[in-house]
Amino acid sequence: MQFRTTPAAAGVFVLAAALLAGCAAPQISSLVERRPPGLAARAEIAAAPFFPQEAYQCGPASLAAALVHAGREATPESLLPQVFLPARKGSLQAEMLATTRRHRLVAYPLAPLLQDLLREIAAGNPVVVLQNLALSWAPRWHYAVAIGYDLDAREIVLRSGVTRRETMSLDTFEHTWARSGHWAMLALPADRLPVTATETSFIAALAALERVAPAEAHTGYARALARWPGSATAQVGLGNASYAMRDLPGAAAAYLRATRDHPASADAWNNLAQALHELGSRDEALAAARRAVALGGARSQTYRETLEGILRQP
Amino acid sequence: MKIGFRRVMAGLLIVCMGGLTAPLPALAGIVGTDTVVAGVERERLASLLERSDVRARLESLGVDATHAKARVAALSDTEAAQLAAQMDQLPAGGDLLGAALLVFLVLLATDIMGYTKIFPFTRSVR
Repeated sequence: MQFRTTPAAAGVFVLAAALLAGCAAPQISSLVERRPPGLAARAEIAAAPFFPQEAYQCGPASLAAALVHAGREATPESLLPQVFLPARKGSLQAEMLATTRRHRLVAYPLAPLLQDLLREIAAGNPVVVLQNLALSWAPRWHYAVAIGYDLDAREIVLRSGVTRRETMSLDTFEHTWARSGHWAMLALPADRLPVTATETSFIAALAALERVAPAEAHTGYARALARWPGSATAQVGLGNASYAMRDLPGAAAAYLRATRDHPASADAWNNLAQALHELGSRDEALAAARRAVALGGARSQTYRETLEGILRQP
Repeated sequence: MKIGFRRVMAGLLIVCMGGLTAPLPALAGIVGTDTVVAGVERERLASLLERSDVRARLESLGVDATHAKARVAALSDTEAAQLAAQMDQLPAGGDLLGAALLVFLVLLATDIMGYTKIFPFTRSVR
């Protein structure tokens, strides 16, 4: 190929020359330099499903693979009405998460760390990633499923586009992944904790699941409490999931535990009051509601309304 | 957040006409887990308006009305607020690329350097 030196072409090659020195990516470089303990050198989820994508439909195709791996029934076609935006010819990240929840799975966004992504793969969890395969100012957004890696070969394995097993340099992958803000998510059954899960992120993921699938969220809160027994939010969440399923005794029991472990949690006292009230235990409900109001805080208005609601009914 | 009178009226109309996009998450007297997680209580009406906004946007982007309703219902409050505020700026992953010549040349170079991955025939130098 011969280029007459147009200014554009010249610019390109000046740029290329300037950048050529620095194509190693930062996270993978430090991982290879100092191998973190416990991180396997290589792993691959060979059984991870694959759906070759139709034009623009990498979102539904990637998500279908993750959902099927987690034991749900899905095809890219069945996900189109749930996660595809025809006029944008693509899928939004928020809807990738929301669609996962509609399939009664926890949608867990990973921390923006390559090490976490690799650890999840090593634990057998396929990771849905968003890449910008092109440039920040001329983006080409692409979803794929990361299912394997080899640190010695410095490669990642993806289910991507129409390629069942695409191997890509981990440096190139990291560059394309960084341009999406290192976005990655898992789709997992609620009784299964991501190996890189943090208390705050996992419980936030369960709170989002709760509005769509309270029964699965309940399972998730129980799992979270097994891991982080001291979590006040998980205890209140366990009660809220029971309440959403109209299991009032279960809800009251969970709130009661929360108030015993965390007597300063006004939310726990407030919710306990409401559950006891609906169970017909007026005196205990009033006592709990008064504790919430006395503790006060950002939601003191809600606590007062709960108290008034109980007082209104004799 | 400033809510214009017309938006409030539009929102109320939608609610009145039975177009509620989602069941209200917070039931009477219960502090929802999303609120406990977020630490702040979102204003009920603002949240409702955001959801009806997002639903209208989804429909304008070609999503069928019944599907749009279910899609909005599965969003968390935070996600609904984010989509209401900036749906047009957020990436929609789908391999769409405007193919101008300059972009082509730059991508060829950056592909070879391993910064991008557009062309199946390139093999990064690394």
